This record gives sequence, structure tokens and C-alpha cells, in this order.
Amino acid sequence: MASAKRVASTAATLVTLGWVIAISPAPAQRPDSLAQPPDSVKALRELTLEQLMNVEVTSVSKHAERISQVASAIQVITQEDLRHSGASSLPEALRLATNLEVAQIDSRQWAISARGFNSTTANKLLVLIDGRTVYTPLYSGVFWDVQDVPLADIERIEVISGPGATLWGANAVNGVINVTTKDAKDTQGLLLSGGGGSTLRGVGAAQYGGALGPAIRFRAYAKGFTREPSSLPNGQDATDDWHAEQGGFRLDWDASQSSHVTLQSDLYDGRISQPAAADIAVSGHNAIVRWSLAPSAATNVTAQLVYDRTHRDIPGTFGEDLDAYDVDLAQRAAVGTRQDVVWGVGYRLINDRVANSAALAFLPPHVTRQWFSGFVQDEVALVPDRVRLTLGTKLEHDEYTGFGVQPSARVNWALDTASTLWTAVSRALRTPSRLDRELYIPGQAPYLLAGGPNFRSEEELAYEVGYRRAWGAATVSVSTFYNHYHALRSLEQANRPNPFPIVIGNGQDGESYGAEATGQYRVSQRWRLRAGYTELRVHIWPVDGSTDMTHGRSEALDPERQLSLVSETDLSARLRLDGLFRYVGSIANAQVPAYAELNARLTWRPADPIEVSLVGQHLLHDQHAEFGALATRREIRRAVYGLVAWHL
Amino acid sequence: MAPLTPGIARRARRPAATRAVVAFITGVWLALVARLGAQAVHASEAQVKAVFLLNFAQFVDWPPATAADSQAPLIIGILGDDPFNGFLDEAVRGERLHARPLVVRRYRRLEDVKACDILFISESEDERVDEILAALKNRPILTVSDAANFAQRGGIIRFVTAKSRVRLEINPDAAQGAHLTLSSKLLRLADLVTAPGR
Repeated sequence: MASAKRVASTAATLVTLGWVIAISPAPAQRPDSLAQPPDSVKALRELTLEQLMNVEVTSVSKHAERISQVASAIQVITQEDLRHSGASSLPEALRLATNLEVAQIDSRQWAISARGFNSTTANKLLVLIDGRTVYTPLYSGVFWDVQDVPLADIERIEVISGPGATLWGANAVNGVINVTTKDAKDTQGLLLSGGGGSTLRGVGAAQYGGALGPAIRFRAYAKGFTREPSSLPNGQDATDDWHAEQGGFRLDWDASQSSHVTLQSDLYDGRISQPAAADIAVSGHNAIVRWSLAPSAATNVTAQLVYDRTHRDIPGTFGEDLDAYDVDLAQRAAVGTRQDVVWGVGYRLINDRVANSAALAFLPPHVTRQWFSGFVQDEVALVPDRVRLTLGTKLEHDEYTGFGVQPSARVNWALDTASTLWTAVSRALRTPSRLDRELYIPGQAPYLLAGGPNFRSEEELAYEVGYRRAWGAATVSVSTFYNHYHALRSLEQANRPNPFPIVIGNGQDGESYGAEATGQYRVSQRWRLRAGYTELRVHIWPVDGSTDMTHGRSEALDPERQLSLVSETDLSARLRLDGLFRYVGSIANAQVPAYAELNARLTWRPADPIEVSLVGQHLLHDQHAEFGALATRREIRRAVYGLVAWHL
Repeated sequence: MAPLTPGIARRARRPAATRAVVAFITGVWLALVARLGAQAVHASEAQVKAVFLLNFAQFVDWPPATAADSQAPLIIGILGDDPFNGFLDEAVRGERLHARPLVVRRYRRLEDVKACDILFISESEDERVDEILAALKNRPILTVSDAANFAQRGGIIRFVTAKSRVRLEINPDAAQGAHLTLSSKLLRLADLVTAPGR
């Protein structure tokens, strides 16, 4: 304990010292006023055109600007936010979205959900990376350990809490995460970065962006990292250290005045230690071709082809090889002056081969399945510039349950130029995955647990009301929701009074309600604050005739409240300090205690192309738990790492 | 026994956590104090663009007949939603071009654009850009926008934000069509584009 205290106080002293050292030289090295971009419009007026062109701007993405008009609870993580967050992986970056529950399970696994229903196999969130669906048909969730997008190439991450099923599709029951990477023309030049520390032992990346012709730009990258294990509650290493390597490219071609073609691909490979068994191996590759055509401002068409291959071998548990193919076509067209119609069709094919073990089996081990879907949405300006009504529906066909309809209605009312009131009613479905229908434990009969041959889609009816307002330097947004769920997954005792076998069924109903509030405030030109607060209640109960005893313990492991506070401070032209404080309430049905944690990042730019940063994560505790049952719980340690990036 | 252990562990750790919090608060306080003496770093995109709009007035010559008299205001208009958050008003406040005061006007509809010298076409009008440009064709108005391919589509100046800098794309043919003379200095700093098929 003494040593723990010493480490903590040393770390605290270091952080303080870091700030002091960092701050002190600032006035001394203040360059002349030309090199120093001034802050106010008044000062900008004094600059020449050349100087004006060299002022570094902090921009709000186009999509972020439009947030004020969206009739849903959307948050956008911009490249600027990402760059300064100190996040070293996509899940870490998602902590910036205060409408998400983000919990680290161990060194590589994450439980991420919106509006409840979090679990190690959370299944009500749709995650897209450049239009590629990354949730696995195995359990309708995401293997976060292989979603390693180079963070510097991300343009923005849109996080929508609440159903997005009409436009986005099945699985978008409680939220959508949409990651968009930059056009290759915005990542030209050479970028080298490297660093390391505790937890993130080593990390390195190299990227080059160039031109292949007047209208064709590309970038190619390679990166890798090695991470230390998480901790057991007693402080010992949990034997889950790992490393992964990834490479890829993106090519953007302005084929003509009105058409654009994107071709991109990634390739990755990783190894993860596990106790008392051989290493876990993960690998995969994907390719996307996207063509968009905008013959006029009134209409555009996008067509996309995606191929995604994933391989995962967990010795002693199971192995999987999955090939997924997606074809999507969508068109937007203005109809008259008041209507905007979007429609599209999609087809998805998977070829999934599972290697079963003594512990568990997916039966049959090899399946080929296909999905057909279509959607249409019409946005009508009921009162131009004030009231917009959006009506739409998605129709999807899957081989387990046939056709499913997911309609929604949204109204957006601009009260004045600064405030907006919106409301929505939506129906969404969580269609069956292989886990629900085809999982057997153990791998051979007699089974203790068996997939439900009649498992059908879980249904949600969601009601939302939200309000947004801007007051000068501050913006505030509040979203409230009530969701009713029917036919939630349950564990039925099929052969009572025998406790086994348990068969997966649809014997639970539930409801959830809550509120998400976010605010931003620009204290001064150099100091910006963002805050988020979420209250959530989830109740799940067995319906008449169900023998489920879990009361949702296997479906929803959620804290009742979360608070986060982000502070961004420009200490000087070349120094910046960012902090993320978060409080997460206890997860009562998994005995995870409440915790508060702090991340901080100090960035120094000694010269324009070079950036040196020092990142501290989870600074308040030696180690803390975020998720998981007591018996298998892993804790996350305090971490410090340094990073140098060189951009030419 | 089991539930007791973590409790003890937590209690024992608290002083360290407290120290970390104190360190954080101290750090923030020091940072704030230092901030008072430090210079600013960034400008917002809206601020920089607002100042560009102001500067354009100095680098563009309008045909002599445009202004009613030599003291008539030089009008910078915004068509659609105002993205400048008050910065444009702040930028032009008290500014004059020779004897002409600079004035900001906001237009909801294209028909409202009458006597206007510089017109910024907002993102809210993205879908109508071609229509707007067609309607303004040959009028002595310096059209400016963020819209994709704005200059190629016949607009005069497009703001392009890349690598955190605002750059200009200028279509000199479009300027000529509007009977505007852009200074060589402005042209030299911009990326020149032409409309396809010319």
C-alpha cells in the first residue's frame, strides 16, 4: 500500500511539475507577433492576406454545424477533439461522446452502448466505419479489439443515441456510431509518430499521402502497438497483454465535375495472451469501393460495395472465419421546394465458419445467410425554415424472421434562430444473431444451454423529446427518452423443475427512460469547456409464462448516471492542456462500484511540423474496475505515455 | 471477508487520490494564472473568413457605375443562415473603403439581394448554389462560398479549409464575367480554377 501511495503521489507531483515546467517558458519564448496568430477579429484585421492564410483555424465540421437542425440526440467528435484527447484507440476516443456508456473490460475488450443494455456482448448499437458495418453477425455486437482506425485520419465520429433504424438499419436500436475518415486530399504529406509508456508500451505509425494525377489522391499507412496486461483485483498482471499491426490505403478520385470515387482497404493482424492457453489470434482485411454522383444540387446517388474478412481464433473457446459482402445504393432528391426524399436498397451476404470447442459450439458450424433491405424517408418543410416533418421506414428481410418494418416520425421545430425543439417516435428491431439461435454450451450434448430455435426479433418503441439552444459562447442540448421493449432475450428453463437445459427465448419485456444533457462553453478564446450528464433507468421483467430468473442481469449492466467534463486550454501558441474528468455511477446488478477518473494531455509544438505530447490516463487511482462480474473482473491501471508526431 | 478487502484497499488509497486531485487543481490554477500572460493560439474558422470578406473589398475593383455615389455603403451580404456568429459585424465595424462605409446585410431569399457588392452564400443554400449563381450571373457581385466546387461551378471565390488553414480558390473568368477586377496580389495567393469546358 505504501508503494501504491508513493506511485500515486509521484504521479501527482509529476503532473503538477509537468504543468509548471510547461507553463513557465511560455512568456520567454513568445515569438514576434507575426508568427503568433492573434485571437480577436480586431487583431486579425491587422494581418496581410498572406498572414491571414497562415492563421491556424479551429474548425467545426460541416456536420457539426448542422447539428442544430437534426431531430435526434447527436454528438459529433471532431478531428480536433480526437487529436487532443490523448486517446490511443477508437474505444478510448468514444469516451468523448457523453451520450455513450463506455467501459473497458480488460486490456482489449470494451462494453459500449447507448441508453442502456450494455454488456460484454452489447447488441443494440450499430457501428459503421466509412459505411462498413463492423458489428458481427455472431452476436450483433462489436469486437472492439480489431476496430483500429488511425485516429489522425478520422474526420469525425457521429454518435447518435436513440434509434436510427429507419436510415441506418437493423441493430440501430439504441444508437449509431458513424466513423468517417478524411478524404485522401486532406491527408497529403508524410506523417510519422511514435512513443510509449506504461500500459501502452509502444506505438508507432507512418503514413504518406500523395497524388497519382491531377484528380487522384491517395494515402497509405502502417501502424502497430503493444499493450501491457490489465490487472487482477489483487494487483497482479492478468495475462492479457497484446500487440497488433495494421496497414491500409485510401484513394480518392474526382472522376468528373459531379462524380467521386473512393477505394480503400485495411489489413491487420494481432496476438493476445491468455492464461493457461495459447495466444488468441485475430486478423482480417476489408475493401470498400464507393461511387457518388451529384449531377445537380437537387439530387445525388451513392453506390457502395464492401468486402470484410475477419478471422479470430481463441484456443480453448472457439474460432471463426467470417466473410461479409455488402452492396448499398442510395439516392437523395429534392422534390419540389419543400420535400427532400432519401431512399435506398441494400443486400448483405455472410459466410460464417466457426470452429467449435469442448466449451461451446455454434450449430451448424458453417452458415451462409443473406439480408435484403430497403428504406425511404421524406423530409417535408411544413413551415419553411421553421417546422420540418420527417417520415420514413425501413423494410428488412432476414432468413431467421422474414420481413421486419422499422418506421419513424420526427418533427423539428426551430423556435428562433438559436433554439430548436424536436420530438420523435420510432420502432426498431434487434434481429436474431447466431448467438441467440445457434449457441450450445458445452460443445457436446447434453447441453446446459441451447440456442432458441424460435428466437425472434427484439422490438423497441421509442419516444424522444429534445431541446437545443445557443447563447453566445454557450450551447446546451437536452434529450429525454422513454423506450418500451418487447420480446427481449431471456434464459428459459425448458425442462422444469430441472434447472437445465436453459433455452434462449424472448420472454422478457422492459422499459428504459432517462435524459442526456450536454453543454459547451467558451470561457475565453483560449479556454473551452464541455460537459455531459446522463441519467438512465432500465427495468426488465419476465412476461407471463416465462421461466427466466435473470431479470435482465444478462442483458443490461448499466450505471444510473454519468458525468463528464472536458477542458481544453491553450496555454500559449505552442502549448496546450486538455483534461477529461468523468464520474460513472455504480453498476448495481454487477457489483461494479462507482468511480471517478481523470485523463490529461499536455501538448507542445516546438515547431509547426512537430508535436510532442504527454498523456496521463486514469490518474486518480492505481487501478480501477469499470465492468464485469466479480469472478472474472479485470481492473484498469493508471497509465502514462509520451508521443512524438512529425508532419511534413 | 471478500467484500471487506476492497473497502480497506480503497480507504488506504484515498490519500493518494486526494493528492492527485490537489495536484490537478493546483495545475489548473497555475495554468490559468499563466494564461493571463500568454498569447492566444487559434482563431476560429468563422473569424478568419469574416476578415477575408472584409479584405476582399480592398483587393477588388467594381465597375464605376455600381455605387450610387462615392459615399454609398459597400455592402457585404450573407445569403441564408449567418455562420459568422457576429464576427463579420465585428470585423466591419468602423471600417471604410475610401469614403464608403462597410455594411453587413442578411438576406433570406435571393430576390432580396439588390444592391450588394460582396455576397457570401451560406451552407444553408448549398442545394441552390447553381440556381443562385445563374440568377446573379453578370451582376457586379463578388460571390463567395464554402460550397463544394463553388469556383468551378461559376462562383468567384471559394473558401477551402485544409490542414487547418483557410485558402482561396478563385475563378478569374467568373470575376471577369461579373465585370470585377481582382488585384494581382489576391490572384497570386489563391488557387486559380476554371469552369470545366472553357
